[in-house]
Amino acid sequence: MQVKEIFSSQLPVGETLSIKRSRFEPLQKSDNLKRISIVSGTHGDELEGQYAIYLLTSWLNENQDAISGIIDIYPAVNPLGIDTITRGFPLYEVDLNRVFPGGEDGFLPGQLVHALVQDIKGSDIAIDIHSSNIFLREIPQIRINKEFSNFTLPLAKELNCDFIWIHDAVTVLEATFSHTMNSLGTKTLVVEMGVGMRLTKEYGEQLLCGMLNLMKKEGIITTENSFEAREPFLSEIGEVFYLNSPSSGLFVPALDHCAIIKKNEKIGTIVEPLTGATLDTLYAPNSGILFTLREFPVVYEGSLLARIFGERDK
Amino acid sequence: MKIIEIANFTSLNRAPLVIEGYLFEGSDPYAPSVAIVGAMEGKNILPLYSASKLVDFLKNKIHDKDKIRGNILVIPSINSYALNINERFWPLDKTNINTMFPGYELGETTQRIAKKVFDAIRGYTYGIILESREDLSNCIPYVKLFKSGFEDIEGAKTFGFRVVNHRELTPVDTVTLQYNWQLWETKAYSIVCPNKNQIDIDNSNEIFEGIIQFLSKNKLIDYRVLNGFESVIAAQEDIEIAKAPKSGIFITMKKEGTYISKGDVIGQIVHSLNGEIVHTFISTCNGMIVCCYKNGLILEGALAFRIIKSD
Repeated sequence: MQVKEIFSSQLPVGETLSIKRSRFEPLQKSDNLKRISIVSGTHGDELEGQYAIYLLTSWLNENQDAISGIIDIYPAVNPLGIDTITRGFPLYEVDLNRVFPGGEDGFLPGQLVHALVQDIKGSDIAIDIHSSNIFLREIPQIRINKEFSNFTLPLAKELNCDFIWIHDAVTVLEATFSHTMNSLGTKTLVVEMGVGMRLTKEYGEQLLCGMLNLMKKEGIITTENSFEAREPFLSEIGEVFYLNSPSSGLFVPALDHCAIIKKNEKIGTIVEPLTGATLDTLYAPNSGILFTLREFPVVYEGSLLARIFGERDK
Repeated sequence: MKIIEIANFTSLNRAPLVIEGYLFEGSDPYAPSVAIVGAMEGKNILPLYSASKLVDFLKNKIHDKDKIRGNILVIPSINSYALNINERFWPLDKTNINTMFPGYELGETTQRIAKKVFDAIRGYTYGIILESREDLSNCIPYVKLFKSGFEDIEGAKTFGFRVVNHRELTPVDTVTLQYNWQLWETKAYSIVCPNKNQIDIDNSNEIFEGIIQFLSKNKLIDYRVLNGFESVIAAQEDIEIAKAPKSGIFITMKKEGTYISKGDVIGQIVHSLNGEIVHTFISTCNGMIVCCYKNGLILEGALAFRIIKSD
């Protein structure tokens, strides 16, 4: 395993911002090896990828003979953000996943993402691991832009996630890592799982199994071990139903995340501690799986409380 | 003058967020109309001040109200929750209201705010958005127009600012107010204000005079103004960039708005611990400094100066 610095910037007082990549490759090098790049930590408040990547690098260290392709790991695209619990790039207050592809003559965050793109360009596959933000808990899922789904969907099914959400092309998302890399010919998948600022051990282990399964199928690792990928729900065979808060207050959930629920089942209440009033009671708009649930209890009118996936009730 | 309530959002513990607009009804039903949007971010101090100063001008300085010919709506503050606690974006989820347009009434909070604001300002002939620079720099006041296919460059010149920055549209720009307002057939312009925490009287006068000149030249008010500058239309290729090759303490020798010649010393970087000069910025062209990095500490690779080339 080799560690390389792909971007650096001296900070004003005796410190260097450094973006690092670790590369795992076969002991016997050869041409035309498949390359996968695994990226995380673009948002500094999303830490689930840190653990999933640790599990992967740990597995690769213990199974070096199994490596038959190139595996590039970028655990911390926004290291200053991760170490300071800051979602965006500190100082600039910019979401790094909205400034791709960046450029050498752009502002500093744009230079950073440009360096990342240049380093990953040419990979066959990329996986961008996100947590949800601090507000919502998500089941392990893959988000796919319909524009690229023909060649990313088959890979997504190997990643052992519970849900694959194929969404329409949206212009603003063209500034993301995944759109940039897909446009450059690297088949790129976005993983969302868990919640911001926390680790969910079972999700990390679930994704490890999926990454190893995908790499084995693609010939990037060669091993006798078998990795089972669960059958995911596909967004195309149902609908996603959103539940936004009708009022501002404190959200108290009545159900657990991932519950299978029936239409009109109680999802939670919005309450006001000062007066003891219940401002609103929320009910499921449709039956299905509660795949997103509000984790951070303070809500404003409009705050997302839950998402349910299921076939539309008759 | 009427005060209209555009939006009212409650909170768990804070007083409600109320967005108000000041509507000055024009005397001429055939005159064009304009809506002016102030602070969408909590650090938009000059945008807030410029908008509130305009309300005062229209209300108290124009005594003959017939001189207000077209309808003028001024919304000084969209994001008082952020302004009041010196946050930049929406305080709870840190989303930027100016990337939520045209808004969505069933969406997240800032999408709902954007929708209510957009409903109030749709249909105006002209739209003026008062913004601050998004990066860590100060600038001379200028007009920013996206190359969207809907932009009105001639109208942008009537503010009389020194520069109209006509720049490429990026994906993120498609969810801004300027782009969406233009899509809905309002001639929209962003006035980019210096990113300062205190009121700079020279800057605020320039911005205010630019807005008055625009209102006058476009027949929204009858008010005699002295002409401003003949604006230069500047695209990316007209701008020279100076990046910091080293980090340290940044000292600006020439401020934004200064004409410089090739070879002029315009700034320095000093080692933050031993005090030695580690870099001297020397201008590589003739022109005017339009933006300067604003912090005293600079990172390696940060954009220190933007200079509009004069040749």
